[in-house]
Amino acid sequence: MRFLSRRVHLITGKGGVGRTTLTAALAKAAAAHGRRTLVCDVSDPDVGRSALGAALGAALDAHPRPLAPNLWGARLISEEGHRGFLRSVLPKALVNGALRSKAIHRFLAGAPSFYEMGIMYHLLTWLRAEAPDGAPMYEVIVVDMPATGHALAFTSLPEILLRLMPKGPIARALREGQGYLNDPQRAAAWVVTLPEKLPVSEALELVEGLAQTQMPVGGVLINRMPVDPFTPSEHEALDEHFEAAVHGRLSVSRIRQAAHAVTRFCGVEAHSVPEVDDVALLDAFFQPHLE
Amino acid sequence: MLSARLSERRVLVSCGAGGVGKTTLSAALALGAARRGLRVLVITIDPSRRLAETLGVSRNPRQPVPLPEDKLREAGVTTGTLHAWMLDPQLIADSAVERLGGEDAARLLRNRLYQNISAMVAGMQEYTAVEALYRFVQADLYDLIILDTPPSRDALRFLEAPRRLGALLNQRVFDLFLPERPGFIQRVAGRLIEGVFDVVLGKATRAELQEFLVLFAGIFQRLNQNQEEMRRFFAAQEVGFLLVTAPNEAALEEAYYFERKTRDELGLNLEGYILNRSLAHTADWPLPDPEAPGLDPTLRAALLKLAPLAKAERVRALADLELTRALAARLPGGFVQALPTLEFGANDIPALARLSEILLCPEATEATPTV
Repeated sequence: MRFLSRRVHLITGKGGVGRTTLTAALAKAAAAHGRRTLVCDVSDPDVGRSALGAALGAALDAHPRPLAPNLWGARLISEEGHRGFLRSVLPKALVNGALRSKAIHRFLAGAPSFYEMGIMYHLLTWLRAEAPDGAPMYEVIVVDMPATGHALAFTSLPEILLRLMPKGPIARALREGQGYLNDPQRAAAWVVTLPEKLPVSEALELVEGLAQTQMPVGGVLINRMPVDPFTPSEHEALDEHFEAAVHGRLSVSRIRQAAHAVTRFCGVEAHSVPEVDDVALLDAFFQPHLE
Repeated sequence: MLSARLSERRVLVSCGAGGVGKTTLSAALALGAARRGLRVLVITIDPSRRLAETLGVSRNPRQPVPLPEDKLREAGVTTGTLHAWMLDPQLIADSAVERLGGEDAARLLRNRLYQNISAMVAGMQEYTAVEALYRFVQADLYDLIILDTPPSRDALRFLEAPRRLGALLNQRVFDLFLPERPGFIQRVAGRLIEGVFDVVLGKATRAELQEFLVLFAGIFQRLNQNQEEMRRFFAAQEVGFLLVTAPNEAALEEAYYFERKTRDELGLNLEGYILNRSLAHTADWPLPDPEAPGLDPTLRAALLKLAPLAKAERVRALADLELTRALAARLPGGFVQALPTLEFGANDIPALARLSEILLCPEATEATPTV
C-alpha cells in the first residue's frame, strides 16, 4: 500500500461504509510499525461528537494526545487553524485585537472556503511539527475525512483560493499544503467502499473527482468483503436449489455480487478488507500490507 | 399507504442518511406517480451517473427535463409526465439573483467570489433546494413534486438560511465591513478588520470581498423575505416528508433524528418510513436442509457450508420484521414500507418501473428477489 512512506493519508468514502473503523485500524497498524503516527478526524460544529474518538476509546481535541506507543489522536478544528494562521501573519500589535474580534471569527467561520482553509492550516501545523531531534514529530498522519462532498471541498480548496488570491500569506500557506497533499510521494487519498453495485460506482466517481482536484489517490479499500466458501461446482448445484425461497440465498447472491464488484476496479489499486468490524482485528490485518 | 399519498400531496420530501438508496427510491416513486397519470417533477441531488443519464440530467440542465416519449412508453406511462431536474446551487443562486435584476445583481454576478459561491459556501445546496422547490410549486406546472434532500444530517437546514452564511451576514458583523460606518467604535473596529484583511488577503482581494459581502447581503436579505411564507408552506398538509432508512444502526439513528426534527420540532407532516434492504419478507422462509434424503453429494457439501450463513440470515430477517413493527409503533397513523434488497441495479427505466411497483403495491408484487 506504500502507506508508511507517505506522510498524509486522507481516508474518504460515503457514510456507512466503515470509513472511521478503517481509519483507526490503519493508524494503529502504522504505529505498530514504529512510525510516529497521528490519527485525526475533522470536527464538524454541527455534529459535535467524534466517531473516531469512539472507535479509539479516547476523547479527542485540537491538541494531539498520546493514545498508545507511537500513536497520537486529535481533531482538525477550523478555528484552531484560523488562530494559528492569524498569529503567524499579523504584526504583533494586531494579533490580540484580531483574535478577540467576534466579527473576524464570524467572518472566518462563514466566509467562502475559509472553513476548509482553517482545517488545512491546522493540518499544516502538525506536518511542520518537529521532534527534539529535528525529525518530523508525526511521520504518518491519517485523517478520517467526513462525507465525500466535504472531502472534495477540502482537496479542491487550494486551487479555488489560489485562483482568487494568487499572492500573499494565504497563497503561501496553500502552496505549502499543496506541496504535501498533491505530491504522490508524500500523500494519498484512500476511498473506502463496499463490494456492492452502487457503492462501487460511487467510489469510482470519487476516485475521478479526487484526481481532478490534483489529489493523488492511493487506492480503494473494499470493506466487508465476504469470503466465498463454495467451489464452482457447488455454486452450480446451489443455483438449482435456490429456485425455491430458502434462507441462505441472499448470502450467496451477496458473495457473487461482491466477486463481480471487485472486478470493476481496473487501473485502480484495490484492496479487499475482510468482514470484521473490529479495530484490533483490522489493525492486525493491515500490518503486513502497509509497506 | 404510500400509493395514496402520491395523489393526496403536492410535495413529497425524502430524508435520510447517505447510502440508504434515497435518490433511487425518489426516482422510482416519481416514475410510479407518472404511471398513475400524474404530472410529476423529481428534483434529485447527486444521482449516480447511470441514473442521471437515465433521467436526462447528466449535464446539469437549466430547466427540468421531460422524460422523452419512448422512455415514457418503455416505463408504461400513458397519461402522466415525468420531468427531472438536478439541483445545482450555483444555477439556482444565479437565477434568483437575475430575477431580482438591477445593477447590483449584475455586479454580483461578475464578482469572482460570488462565482465560486456554491463551491465555497456550506449550506448553499440546502438553501437553494428550497428556493427551487418553492418556485416550482408556485409555477403550478406539476401535480406532484418529489424532492430528494442532500444526504446530510443538516438536510432540514433547508428550512433555515444557510447557517454559516447567515452568521456571516449578521447585520452587526456586516456593518463593520461597510465602507461608511456609523459611530466611533464601529469605525475603530472596522479599521482593525480592514488592517487584518489587508495583511491576510491583500488590498485587492479585500476590496472584492467587501463588494461581495455588501451586494450579497443585500440580495440575500431580499431572498429571505419570503422565508416565513416558505415555512408555512412546508408545514401545510399538502407537503409530506418520507424517512428513508435501512436496518443498520447508523441509518436508523439518522432516521430517528429526522423524525424528532420534522415531526416534533418543526411540526411537519411526517408520512412514514421506507425501510430499504429489509429481510423482513423472508422471515418465514425455511432453512436449507443438508440432511435431506437423496441429495446430490456436491449440493450436500454446499448446503453444509451454507448452513451458518442461512442461520445468520434468518436471525436478521426476524430482527428486520421486529424493526418494521417497532417503526410502525413510533408513527401512529403513518406507514412503514419494508423494501427488500434489490438484486438488480435500479438505474435504467425498466428497473425503476419495477422498483416503483414493489414500492407502491407491495402485496401484488412478487417481492422476493431472484439470485
